[in-house]
Amino acid sequence: MYFAGVDIGSTMTKVVLTDAADNILSSVKGPTGPEHRQLANEVMKRVLDQAKLKLDDISYIVATGYGRVNVPFADEQITELSCHARGVSSLFPGVRTAIDIGGQDAKCMKIRNGKLVDFVMNDKCAAGTGRFLEVTAATLGIKLDDLGALSLKSTKKIEISNVCTIFAQQEIVARLSEGEKVEDIIAGLHHAVASRVAILARRLKVEPDVVLTGGVAKNIGVVTAMREALGCEILVPEEPLLTGALGAAILARENYDKAGKRGEPVTTKGRRLEKATFFTK
Amino acid sequence: MTIQKSKLIQGLSWAHEIYADREQRVRELKAAGKKIIGYPCAYVPLEMLTALDLVPYRIYGSIREPVTEADRSLPATFCPFMRSCLDRALKGKDDFLDGLVTAHSCDPQHRTAHVWESCVEYSYTHFIDMPGTLRADSMDYYKGQLADFKKTLEAYTGKKLTADKLKAAIKIHNQQRALVRDMYQLTIPDPPLISGTEILETIKAVMSLPVAEGNELLAGVISEVKSRSKGPPKRRARLMIWSSTLDDTEVMNVFESSANVVMDDSCGGFRPFRANVKPTADPIDGLADYYMNEITCARTFRQAAIGETKKDYPKDLASRFGYVKTIVKDWKINGAILFLVRYCDPFAFEMPSFKDYLNSIGVPSTYIEYDYTVGALAPMKTRVEAFIETIT
Repeated sequence: MYFAGVDIGSTMTKVVLTDAADNILSSVKGPTGPEHRQLANEVMKRVLDQAKLKLDDISYIVATGYGRVNVPFADEQITELSCHARGVSSLFPGVRTAIDIGGQDAKCMKIRNGKLVDFVMNDKCAAGTGRFLEVTAATLGIKLDDLGALSLKSTKKIEISNVCTIFAQQEIVARLSEGEKVEDIIAGLHHAVASRVAILARRLKVEPDVVLTGGVAKNIGVVTAMREALGCEILVPEEPLLTGALGAAILARENYDKAGKRGEPVTTKGRRLEKATFFTK
Repeated sequence: MTIQKSKLIQGLSWAHEIYADREQRVRELKAAGKKIIGYPCAYVPLEMLTALDLVPYRIYGSIREPVTEADRSLPATFCPFMRSCLDRALKGKDDFLDGLVTAHSCDPQHRTAHVWESCVEYSYTHFIDMPGTLRADSMDYYKGQLADFKKTLEAYTGKKLTADKLKAAIKIHNQQRALVRDMYQLTIPDPPLISGTEILETIKAVMSLPVAEGNELLAGVISEVKSRSKGPPKRRARLMIWSSTLDDTEVMNVFESSANVVMDDSCGGFRPFRANVKPTADPIDGLADYYMNEITCARTFRQAAIGETKKDYPKDLASRFGYVKTIVKDWKINGAILFLVRYCDPFAFEMPSFKDYLNSIGVPSTYIEYDYTVGALAPMKTRVEAFIETIT
């Protein structure tokens, strides 16, 4: 038996295929982006090809993330908060606080016994999210993937005071003209993101184990800054982008099992491997 | 009696029609010579308007309409509801209003009222000051404010506001409060017999009609809902919404797509109807007691004991929010959404305490802030659904 989790985030679309024991059989990440956002079906096809499976081989599919609302081949929609909580706790059974920093939002989740019990999310502002780092990397002419390693070379602490993405950009330009080094500025940015997210997390009272996920967790500079800001160890999964999709696949398996126990038929009718849309009719 | 040309339907369809086009009836009444008095908040004693045959009309903002005009006169980081109300007035949207009555329910309304009165032409305006804390002397001060209101109303209408007229108006407004409470009884069954959306439409319609017609509408809605065979579907949770203002069905739909909204403590909902005005020898005393003590808006601070030098937090919470306890039990509420309009200081300050109180009586809650625009609804849906996933 096979299960799938489809996580359509603001920036990346992630799909994970699992078996009845929640082992990951295959996974694919692809950009959601303005041109690609309707191509979740392509990502799904790739993951199925990788595992040499067909859509009908999948017993149950859960969609999550901002684009979950209308994935024409999903059997159920569950929010990314519950899915992240489930995915993270399968990888780190002792987790009590999970922090996910994605493309357009940052969320902190309180987890007890593998279940989401409370959460906070940032508001509409992009400060303290992946987009903030994307925009500032572009301003500095540096690849997003290089930010983390570069910031570790920093020798001087620079405060980036502005938490607004647009104004932080102006501040960076001003700091550059003052002759500050790029690595110090980047380290300052990482601290700005970390302190912003730490404020959000403290609303829930941070308790260990703390796990950081989302694309931003791949940036070692932010992880280091988060450790400092929260004053505790922070665990990062090997694939921090996939926890939402993994959680969705596990919840797919659990909900399928539950329905089976209740003797309810699981309907997977009406699945169409078509473009996903963000817009419900 | 004026003729109601518009009213050919009854019950929920009538409520829906007035909700969608709120001004149709007051425009007819104005054409027939009635004076229409707008008010933006539950702290205006409508009984005093009704007693003098003035038609009260609740002013709302609009989450669907971008604010373009009000920014000339108001700061941008400011209550988006008041900005939207003033914006619509500046655009001439409620141009049928003869008068405007405002109250110091909060600083934004107080300050906006002064801008409003000077930028838009009305034949009558009045501002009622309100004490922010409940004390014995605040009541004396507030009664003085109501005496002033009476004076300006008498001058405007050229009629005497007698105790008898006021008592009759209180009676009919109390009937309205009782009818609204009867309507909320229909959400006690599981699934509820009436949806939060239908209630919101009905109450907004009621606040767009003269009180007697509003009562007729409510009676029609209640009897229709009781006799219909198909009500709202059963959802995963029974929610209560605590809010300063919740006035658009788009917002209610976000909650009701995954839960049954069975109760609210909101200005466009249960709050102005929760209690009755008590009968008193001087009807002004009953009104003062009602508007100061009985409306459970965060704008009035209810400390457990004035003069005590050490704060007893649990006692304080019970004194401020105790009214919720029986509601939670009777309506079998299993979750609350604390729904705040951005920059609403009174509710933002009250929220952590209210959350503590709900925790103490075992009701899980989540806090959602929105900026009073439809654009904010997509991320809100995720928060609402995730909250319901945590409590079910």
